[in-house]
Amino acid sequence: MSNNYYELTYILNPVLEEDDVKAAVEKINKLITDNGGVIEEVEEWGLRKFAYDIDKKGNGYYINAYFTAPATTIAVLERYMRIEDEYMRYLTLKFDAKMLRHRELVKKNAVPNIFAVEDEVVASED
Amino acid sequence: MIKNPSHPKKSIRKVKQCKFTKAGLEYIDYKDVETLQRFTNDQGKILPRRVTGTSAKHQRQLTTAVKRARFLALMPYVAENLR
Repeated sequence: MSNNYYELTYILNPVLEEDDVKAAVEKINKLITDNGGVIEEVEEWGLRKFAYDIDKKGNGYYINAYFTAPATTIAVLERYMRIEDEYMRYLTLKFDAKMLRHRELVKKNAVPNIFAVEDEVVASED
Repeated sequence: MIKNPSHPKKSIRKVKQCKFTKAGLEYIDYKDVETLQRFTNDQGKILPRRVTGTSAKHQRQLTTAVKRARFLALMPYVAENLR
């Protein structure tokens, strides 16, 4: 069975205590590893303000994770997050070749700035 | 007018270029909200290609990126302050 590279972003309920947040993240990480996945990076963005209200809440705790796993893991993960209340939203993306190449650039911190050229022109005009 | 290259109406027209193609970007990330916001208007609507000059390939990617960002409440579906 082939493993794919995934990115998972989910939002936790902001009402949760610090320990509960930790437990919720741990649980997801454990689900990934228990189902044959390998976690590469888990990044906590922390509390962020929403652009619109979700379930009458104005902000949420964002977590962004990268991992390799077999496709069956995703079903388990998503089912768990649907059932449990503390997960408000989740988005899983499977990476294709283009996205993987982009991810490498992100890791090297070498993503081309699309406005770089434009800004230069503006600067020289002043 | 058509044949005269120095005609004022002709020179005004600015050549639009796709910013993503120019930068050689392959994938437009939904997490990069700042970039995405420059391709939406103040209501939160995605700007058309004819305004931004984005190539068709990148416009398609941009749309999905914006929609993903909206789903995760990183960007608004509809701006609140306007009515």
